[in-house]
Amino acid sequence: MMRRTGVLAATAVTLITSAAIGQSKIAPPPPPYAGAYQPQGIDEIGLWREGDEDERTLANSPILLRDEALNNYVKRVLCAAVGDDRCRSVRLYILRVPLFNASMAPNGTMRVYSGLLLRVRNEAELAMVLGHEFGHFEQRHTLADWKARRSSSDLLSWAAVFAMLGNTYQSYSNFDSLQLSVYGRLAHFNRDQEREADALGLGYLNRSALRPQAASVVWQNLIAEQEASALAKGVRKPNFNKVAFFASHPPSGERAAILAAFADPVGADRENGVTRYAAALAPWLPTFLDDQIKLNDFGASDFIILSLAENGWTAPLLVARGDLYRARGNPRDLSQAAEFYGKAVEMDAKLPDAQRGLGLSLIKTGRRTEGQAALRQYLALKPNASDAAMISMLAQVARGQ
Amino acid sequence: MKILSRAVAAFLVAGCILAPATGQERTATKGGFNLAPQSGKTILVFRPTVRVGAQSTGGLFEPNADWTDQARRNIDDALTKRQQTLGNKVITAPVSYGEDAQLVEEYSALFAAVSRSVIQYQFFVGIRLPTKKRDNKADVFEWSLGSGVGALPGAKNADYALFIYNKDAYGSTGRKMLQFAAALGGVGVKSGEHAGYAGLVDLKTGDLLWLNADGAMGGDVRGVDGAEKRVGQLLEEFPGSVQPNLAAAQP
Amino acid sequence: MVAMLSVSVARANGYRAKNVQVDVAKSAMKITPVRDWNSLSVRPGKKAETWTLDGEQLNDVTFYGGIVPGEPLIRETSKKHKPLPKFTSETLLVEIPELLEGTYRTEKGIGSFSVTSSNPDRFLGSDGIRFTYEYVDADNLPRKGEARAALIQGHLYMATFDAPRLHYFEDTLDDFHNLTDSAAL
Repeated sequence: MMRRTGVLAATAVTLITSAAIGQSKIAPPPPPYAGAYQPQGIDEIGLWREGDEDERTLANSPILLRDEALNNYVKRVLCAAVGDDRCRSVRLYILRVPLFNASMAPNGTMRVYSGLLLRVRNEAELAMVLGHEFGHFEQRHTLADWKARRSSSDLLSWAAVFAMLGNTYQSYSNFDSLQLSVYGRLAHFNRDQEREADALGLGYLNRSALRPQAASVVWQNLIAEQEASALAKGVRKPNFNKVAFFASHPPSGERAAILAAFADPVGADRENGVTRYAAALAPWLPTFLDDQIKLNDFGASDFIILSLAENGWTAPLLVARGDLYRARGNPRDLSQAAEFYGKAVEMDAKLPDAQRGLGLSLIKTGRRTEGQAALRQYLALKPNASDAAMISMLAQVARGQ
Repeated sequence: MKILSRAVAAFLVAGCILAPATGQERTATKGGFNLAPQSGKTILVFRPTVRVGAQSTGGLFEPNADWTDQARRNIDDALTKRQQTLGNKVITAPVSYGEDAQLVEEYSALFAAVSRSVIQYQFFVGIRLPTKKRDNKADVFEWSLGSGVGALPGAKNADYALFIYNKDAYGSTGRKMLQFAAALGGVGVKSGEHAGYAGLVDLKTGDLLWLNADGAMGGDVRGVDGAEKRVGQLLEEFPGSVQPNLAAAQP
Repeated sequence: MVAMLSVSVARANGYRAKNVQVDVAKSAMKITPVRDWNSLSVRPGKKAETWTLDGEQLNDVTFYGGIVPGEPLIRETSKKHKPLPKFTSETLLVEIPELLEGTYRTEKGIGSFSVTSSNPDRFLGSDGIRFTYEYVDADNLPRKGEARAALIQGHLYMATFDAPRLHYFEDTLDDFHNLTDSAAL
């Protein structure tokens, strides 16, 4: 983490002293809230009324995460960032989609993907992203958008930026017609609007209790993740500064630097809300991480696991790493998987998945007897596991044991 | 241009986008089904599913919330006007919440999947499934949503349900350019997609009694006239319907 | 399993008459249907073949015949950018559900898939596995699945059945069982 800050500061200085990219002053506090926004004019009323229909599909979607605790927490972070009066106009929906994205519709519907919750590291980062999306809403970008663009739809969202770089995200662009209401719009805002939203997001952070410097870290981590993914796949590293050709967003490299510049130095000593965030995400982290690992993107997944481990290795994190290596399954991977699972078992011998993973890896690396012992531990811990009968055969559990 | 030529090359190499037989409208009725006007039966109408967006150069659908909102509003209005012509008592599905609402969503998605399958595998020439070809010859039309439809909100008060689905994907500039370029090379590339399905379902059995499914509809549903025309086409030959002074349907 | 693209192909879909034994997935696996089925001309992979009654969105039976170590289950849309999980010589029978899950999640880009049961069950005259699962695909329609698999001389043979959980899964499950009970090498 310290290393990254150093690089960041250096980059920021270089870019600020070079030709003007954006403003190099601290993001101002947001304007006073004018009260709950009412749609005006036929266009806007139309958008809002129909937005409710989208919301109904969203609310009834089979991939919506309905967990109250998680929803309340994310909503609280948003409210703490933008203020209660602004927050009242937002309805939040968390969707089980393993991509980094969030979006906001003109009627106040905010969608957050589970892949985003997996990747942000603390409350400050989450607040930045949510504040950014709220910034679009507050600036009434969508309506201006619509009036200007009635006949074309070639703008891109954050996720689509990565799609252009030909990595995993591209394959998820098969948003079928029925997806509209659930996934929200793909087409989004132009570069100036994105900059405005960034500034607003930072403005919220600057005057919040959280550390505004966290904002640019989100982008830095995404860049690093994409680079790790490309490296493992043996494909060319994406050049984020060239992305401007396709994207309507400020390119990530430039954006990270601007965000760093916008952050109020006074806020640097505030906290990031790391602990609170980890606690709120804990019940879901294994699930979201599993969703990511099963996308078969070794580089990105290992990067995410290692980032999470900066706060300290836990047994579930070690199990996740074991799962990742066991899935790739080269002989060396299997030995390493056995190591990771082994460490997980040392930390928590009662974690069933650790025993299961350990057992399978040991068997696959020729250590059959040890492996069977671990599998028997798994069965003892989870006699009603969905694969208990299969594992029993492998563990050569005698009848009646 | 660089992107375009790469895309063209990819399509030509993949050879997987051929112009299908032009979608002609097709209607089918389950054998033995008959519904006369003023028959005393009740039809439960669910809110139409409407999706409108653009079709990218690569053929992907990019939803456009603004177009969809316009189209939905117009289609709802057009349907309201047409309800008088349906010939039998019509009730609109009650607004539902929670699990009931989720069930409506799931059945709407299932209806769309069934309709797509009917078009792809029974109606249109080219990739018909052999068993469905045989059904066509024998005048058999056997498709169902399953008897679970009886659990839908409002189902207790009706005999049949009307589902409507509409999807429009307007070819983007890139897509149109690809179409032009490909035509020069003798490859047919479809630009844009305008599909609509209207189906009448038996609420006791879930059987699809009547389906009107068209994969290439005309009119721009983002406009009031286009939407009225579209709904008119979708409900053409609706069982038991009475034709008012609107444009007469082709027999 | 067939990728959710609408592809129009000029080649006709095949007919599989009842009581006639046929090879599937260009492999040594043979199936004898007890009713008429259709076989799709578009195949998900070079060692896979999909049969259906009403269309793959409503009932999809896919046969995988003799997958060898190093191969994915289905054709990769991009080997470099979107690689799929591979069957290996160390893959255990109990891990086959994970192989299918990883394949579906990666190919379809979905976040919702769970294996609901997994039990030993002989298949093709060998020790095999029968497992069930649920997932939500890009069309927002929740589906259920059941699969049977066996590892024979280091090769993977499998048959999967996917259908919407509303009506279609239950309605065609017996037919799937009839197909796989008839499977032979």
